[in-house]
Amino acid sequence: MTHGKAPSPTAVRRLLAPAWVVDLWTLAVPLAAVYLFTSAGSALSGSARVDLGYALVNLIIVVALWVFVGNSGVLSFGHIGFVAIGAWTMSLLTIEPLVKSNLLPTLFPFVQDASASPVVALIMGAIMGGIVAFLSALVLMKLNGLEAGIATFALLQVIVQVLTYWDKIGPKSGQSMVGIPASFDLPVVMSIAMLVIVVAWLYQQSTSARLLRASRDDIAAAPASGINVFKHRVIAFAVSGALAGIGGALWAQTNRVVQASQFNLDFTFLTIAMLVIGGMLSLWGAVVGTIVISTLNHFLGLLEGGLEIGSVTVSIPSGSRLIVLGLSLILILILRPGGITNGREAVWPFEKKLDFLTQAQRTFD
Amino acid sequence: MIPLLQSLVDAVSAGAIYALAALGIGLVFGIMRLANLAHGEIITGSAYTLIFLWEFSWPLALIASAVVGVVIALAMNFAVFHWLRAQSPATLLIASFGLSILFQRLYDAAFGTNVRTAPVGSGLSQSIAMGGIRINILSVITIVLGVVLLIAVHLFLTRTSIGLQVKAASSDFRMARILGVRSGFVIAITFAISGLLAAAVAFALTTQSGAVGPTFGVQATLFGLVGAVLGGLSKLSGAVVGGFAVGVVLSLFTSWLPPWANDFRTALVYVFVIIALVVAPNGLLAGRSKKDRT
Repeated sequence: MTHGKAPSPTAVRRLLAPAWVVDLWTLAVPLAAVYLFTSAGSALSGSARVDLGYALVNLIIVVALWVFVGNSGVLSFGHIGFVAIGAWTMSLLTIEPLVKSNLLPTLFPFVQDASASPVVALIMGAIMGGIVAFLSALVLMKLNGLEAGIATFALLQVIVQVLTYWDKIGPKSGQSMVGIPASFDLPVVMSIAMLVIVVAWLYQQSTSARLLRASRDDIAAAPASGINVFKHRVIAFAVSGALAGIGGALWAQTNRVVQASQFNLDFTFLTIAMLVIGGMLSLWGAVVGTIVISTLNHFLGLLEGGLEIGSVTVSIPSGSRLIVLGLSLILILILRPGGITNGREAVWPFEKKLDFLTQAQRTFD
Repeated sequence: MIPLLQSLVDAVSAGAIYALAALGIGLVFGIMRLANLAHGEIITGSAYTLIFLWEFSWPLALIASAVVGVVIALAMNFAVFHWLRAQSPATLLIASFGLSILFQRLYDAAFGTNVRTAPVGSGLSQSIAMGGIRINILSVITIVLGVVLLIAVHLFLTRTSIGLQVKAASSDFRMARILGVRSGFVIAITFAISGLLAAAVAFALTTQSGAVGPTFGVQATLFGLVGAVLGGLSKLSGAVVGGFAVGVVLSLFTSWLPPWANDFRTALVYVFVIIALVVAPNGLLAGRSKKDRT
């Protein structure tokens, strides 16, 4: 028997490009896209730069959301809760002590006294988000499908209600925290966003994430193959909560006014829509969705304010952004349920069409 | 104890409203595997109709609000959900979330962010004295409305041919199709009934508050959905009892929790929701596990 003319799949792969190049490409493309997006945005007017700040923060939140939703296949409506916790941590640690004692007189003494540099506060935001996510995951991650969706939604409600009414750890209900210093400028926020993407990518390459994706693709077969789905979901949820906490901390210092009611269903919807439109199953999808929707929202925002084209002023009613976003989401779900990227990572372009076996192997990676 | 009875009547009336919301959501879920978050926007549409037409002619307002409820529900089905019938329940849920936000913004653009007011059913908000206690007529009417509609839907599902088809499709969609149930028709009928139920909820809620804003229906839908999931979406009676229980518990919390804890009543309800879901993921009252529709 001669097998000389049919090289093994690994051999084919080596001929085309080393596996690590193909893998790194799935990281390099999103990073480059974020860099180009930020550079293009910074070159524009002042309002574009403000929107860009929010876009980068949303990018972090959507990537955080993807870490859990994309790898586990379980929907989460609760991540804005971890964003709120990150924002709370940042605010409580970085507001001027004097302002804080006037503004928030009812705080626990140790919260009142706590103060930290912005970088430490950012790390604390990640830790707090991660801890709360880990603890709630121990309870929630036994659930599947719709029940999981409802339970994460319930979690968001619990977090937001507690932050609204518990004046030992925040303002009285209905009031907001002000005076949060803007500590990081755009290049720093961009670097943090890129770092978050690297962490998400490293997580994606981990064994735990691979096993979790196996359970996503077949929830019946994975446990039968000895995969502890619960454990890997808890890990994903905790990592994802920590990254969302970073997003929240940066949101606080971007928005500079923080109130519990801001972490609402509209915010939840915005981030879920960005993820779904880009393609829920890939990191590249999370990045593409955020960049596309942020750009679209920026221009719709300009139109809402009234845009002069030649001698005609074009304007659309305020609130159009969410109308367009809702319509886009529904159209995507009907026409292309996998999102813009169809759930694929950025593909190494310098490779001829893979033969069936290599393709199969890639799918399993 | 006198206030106990009063608060019980209020609690049962709140429970009746959420039971109707849960029934509307549960019916659609049974047949489509769609947990329709946009149910609240059907309620809001009917409520706006009541508010705008009430002072012109109240019988017309009642009829029009029912028609609007049915029309919006059918429009959602044919414009969106019809095209997503092959998708997973999670995708349907996301789509209904998008639809919900979309409708809220459309109401906002059309009628403004501020609430619109009208004295809907103002004659009903009096109290009657009964054996030394005062009972709100509106609460009694809400309870009666809830009971009548629940019985009506039950009779429809068990005594009419179309109702039996809905019930059959709900328990096993594919089998029902094979046996000659017209799926499109049955789904449309189900959406229409959920629209009618939403209109009933809109009536009960507008007579209480007399004010309607773009997010008017959100709370009733969330608590109705939560109740339905708690009770068990796979069985209509479970969904209804779950919705009812959530309403009763919330109302009793409002009347009886000490002031410091009262702020946290919504948080408490959601903590119970999480515990109940973990203890009984298929619903506390579900008899059997769910079957996926294919």
